[in-house]
Amino acid sequence: MYLRLGWRNIWRNPRRTTVILIAIIIGVWSMIFLGALMRGMTDQMIRNGIATLTGHIQIHQRDYRNDPAVENSIEDPAPIEAALDERLPTGAHWSARIRVTATAANARYAGGVTLVGVDPQMEARVSFIGKAIKEGRYLREDDPFGIVVGRALAEKFETGLGKKLVLMTQDTEKNIASRAFRIVGIYRAEMEATEKQFVFVTLPAAREMLKLEKGISEISILLPGHEMVAATLASLRDAPPLSGCDVESWRNLLPLMRAYLEIYDSFIFLWYLVVFIAMAFGIVNTTLMAIFERIREFGLFKSLGMKPWWIIKEVMAESFFLLLLGILIGNILSFLSVFLLMNHGIDLTRFAAGSEFFGISRVIYPSVYGRDVLLANLVVFILGLVVSLYPALKAARFKPVEALAHV
Amino acid sequence: MNIVECVNVTKTYRQGKMEVRALGGVSLRIKKGGFVALAGPSGSGKTTLLNIIGGLDAADSGSVIVEGNVLDNMSQTELAQLRLRKIGFVFQSYNLIPVLSALENVEFVMLLQGVPTKERLDRARTILDDVGLEGLYDRRPAELSGGQQQRVAVARAIVSDPAIVLADEPTANLDSKTGRELLEMMGEMNEQKSVTFIFSTHDKMVMDHARRLVLIRDGLLADDQDRDP
Amino acid sequence: MASIDLKMAWRNVWRNPRRTMLTICAIAFACLLLVFMLSWQFGSYETMINSAVKIHTGHLQIQAEGYRDKNDIRLVVDDPAAIGRRLEALPRVDTYTFRADAFSLVSSKERTYGVLVIGIDPEREARTSTLSRSLQEGRYLEAGDADEALVGKLLAKNLRIVPGDELVLLGQGRDGSVAATVVRVKGIYASGQDDYDRSTIQIPLPYFQEVYAMGGSVHEVVVLGRTLKDVPVIKEAISEGLKSEDPESGLVVLDWMELMPGLVEAIQIDLYSGFIFYFLLIVVVAFSILNTFLMAILERKKEFGVIMAMGTTPGRLVRLLLLESSAMTLVGIFIGTLAGILVTWYYQVHGFHISGAADVLRQFGLPERIHPRLSAASILIGPAAVLIITGLTALYPALRVRRLRPVEAIAKG
Repeated sequence: MYLRLGWRNIWRNPRRTTVILIAIIIGVWSMIFLGALMRGMTDQMIRNGIATLTGHIQIHQRDYRNDPAVENSIEDPAPIEAALDERLPTGAHWSARIRVTATAANARYAGGVTLVGVDPQMEARVSFIGKAIKEGRYLREDDPFGIVVGRALAEKFETGLGKKLVLMTQDTEKNIASRAFRIVGIYRAEMEATEKQFVFVTLPAAREMLKLEKGISEISILLPGHEMVAATLASLRDAPPLSGCDVESWRNLLPLMRAYLEIYDSFIFLWYLVVFIAMAFGIVNTTLMAIFERIREFGLFKSLGMKPWWIIKEVMAESFFLLLLGILIGNILSFLSVFLLMNHGIDLTRFAAGSEFFGISRVIYPSVYGRDVLLANLVVFILGLVVSLYPALKAARFKPVEALAHV
Repeated sequence: MNIVECVNVTKTYRQGKMEVRALGGVSLRIKKGGFVALAGPSGSGKTTLLNIIGGLDAADSGSVIVEGNVLDNMSQTELAQLRLRKIGFVFQSYNLIPVLSALENVEFVMLLQGVPTKERLDRARTILDDVGLEGLYDRRPAELSGGQQQRVAVARAIVSDPAIVLADEPTANLDSKTGRELLEMMGEMNEQKSVTFIFSTHDKMVMDHARRLVLIRDGLLADDQDRDP
Repeated sequence: MASIDLKMAWRNVWRNPRRTMLTICAIAFACLLLVFMLSWQFGSYETMINSAVKIHTGHLQIQAEGYRDKNDIRLVVDDPAAIGRRLEALPRVDTYTFRADAFSLVSSKERTYGVLVIGIDPEREARTSTLSRSLQEGRYLEAGDADEALVGKLLAKNLRIVPGDELVLLGQGRDGSVAATVVRVKGIYASGQDDYDRSTIQIPLPYFQEVYAMGGSVHEVVVLGRTLKDVPVIKEAISEGLKSEDPESGLVVLDWMELMPGLVEAIQIDLYSGFIFYFLLIVVVAFSILNTFLMAILERKKEFGVIMAMGTTPGRLVRLLLLESSAMTLVGIFIGTLAGILVTWYYQVHGFHISGAADVLRQFGLPERIHPRLSAASILIGPAAVLIITGLTALYPALRVRRLRPVEAIAKG
């Protein structure tokens, strides 16, 4: 009964109800939609991080991360690779790499790069490089002098397809090894920094250059989904061939990114609170107006013997509907806006250097997190009801005689 | 000389799907200095006629002339100007601006007219004294009795020497003694300041005070007689 | 005439104190938040710019055209001393220094890495950048030093070296010859920016010029003005000077914005996205308080009817109502801005700690405790936006009054 009364009461003054509804709707929309944009940004940051060679899980020799030198390689990867084939879930891919810092030079320029030796087929399934070639071709199995470089590096070195590039690095015997490669492909990446940093050659070529027999620097694993990381990690750490290895998830491999995620988590929550406070003033004020207008009515209720509790419930029922409607429409609009942006995203190309600085993509696509939506709606709904208690209690305390005398 | 001249004034209101005829062709002339009661039962159209004379409401057809000004095609702003200079209003209730004191309520009209501060204060005090409210200048409406509030309303209506004061059932919310005192006071003002008063009423006592009684029934003039109160 | 309008407006504002307080609180809340947030953002930007400027770029650099993009060792400033003399003559220039860079392989006993070798003038550098103050181990370079080097902290860790160890440098000289030498590690520095600390070493400039066959030339003349605001004036003066002296010099003056386009755009992204958030917040506040303005008018139709019957023009009534809502808004803005200034002031003095964010902040050149900084802009922008948007909000109900006909108003009230 009081629900029906509450519903009818909020429509006694449609304009006032509409105004406060708009406040709630814009509030809820800004919470969910901007939340989705922020998540979209961090999602892509993570996706980039994972695709830019990190993968979901990496396996290294125990000392490698502390001292990423060629002598801290996994000397015999075969047993580990066998264990991977056995223990990884279906749909997972892995790639073994050699990864060392090197100097790249041509006749005019020299600069620091990361030399990555890969198995072309396996690497293509794990990291971004498989789909990133924009000029020339990708590496082949049998490609002892082929090298793939990023567009930005090629531009800086004023070089191009078919040109020579000399790489120098320290080999396992601590001598400086150098080898001339020919550029067979040029790739593009999300970040210019990536294009400048990584150059790709085949595993055999890298081994030959470094005087490495079977060794590799790391194994990167890509899983079908983020949610499988924990279980896979546990299973791999249990595997005997990996007992001497360092097996880590991307969260620990990219500590800065994890810190980012935590900052965004708090920021999103703070934003929810701030927007809620802004609309709370309106909710309380509007409900107060509504009850003071009906002060005689409440007096009448009371003189009819209505208990205060009933009046509280009636006023709360009004807020309940107000919040419910606002949340409902706000959610619909949010999902609509997310849907509209799904294909094209928000283009930050104009600020490419800035997005690179922050480590975010040039185009941001919204990404809706269930728990964010839930949290936003709960904040508005529960706290909305809590602040409505004030006018409700106010209404319950009207004295019948005074209320009836009020004009 | 006629200060108000209505020629064949009609007015129809729409209430939902119903059309209600408020005035069905009223012609009326009122002389300067008159003390005229428009009488009739509620719904007869007397308030509508009063509002149309005051420029608060527009007639559907016919013509209204107040002290030589033809109201028929005036804009809202022109009408406001006319009311400001020529017409004072007294309503049944809620006449006063609640946040202003008695004195400030009276001053307000002169303020709109641009009367200098000093003169404004003097005139407001004098007129409040005239209507019997000396010493209550600084009371807010909520601190005045109903009769006192209506006196402030009358004071405000006549302070700027308007051509006519229109009073819509000014005594309706007052007890009979207070109502009579208010009417007597209005009568005095009418004589002293030669302001034309037109008031609507359905109260016998009020009609008795009028020097001319115009009876309206169903939106038409039913009777018009000069009286000697 | 205005005084009674003001009086009426003010008294009307307080006819419903509870409603008014809630409205004022909503406005004040928005203002407080905006003053604090903008002071924070502007403060961070200034810190970021200053620390980036102090760590490497300086306010301005004079380089050979094209050097910024290509880092070609052959693109040099031939006569740095002449430019130095010119800079001495500019009163707004605080200090300047010369640098030369070359990419080289650096080997310790156990490790080899490719790094950027930077030649610095120890004394001038100490006055221009924070390098001398960011030394963690060992000692800073001195005027007479030759084959000694300062090494970034993360690079030292990768090379597994400590002060006193030897490093072999192998690179290419300006003339294309092989540049090779051995230097002794004198000190280890930590700028806080990981990339820089992982990939740079510094040696004395004369020694650099000798090893890399630079002659007397350098790659960068790094200039620091007295303040950030002096930069455009200095830039103008230097460009003019360079042009008048030798139009064919091939030298360009780059300010910090051209040297760090990423930083500038990052600040723009941060600022613009902040503005979107703030705008939406203010709009929510505006709708939250619109009902107050609306009710203040709808409740008083009868009163307006009387006021209009007295001859008040609709325009005047609108003015009166706007006066009323602006009185309310201005009180809210005043309180909120004042509270915002006080809160911000407190954190400006004591700093604001974001737990767990230290690593991220360090990469942007921000300290662990952030100090928001009050400025005219940070105090005025937020409240001005609130004033404009709530003002527009108040306009709607006030203009509705124009449509009010006195006779209806009186009948309904």
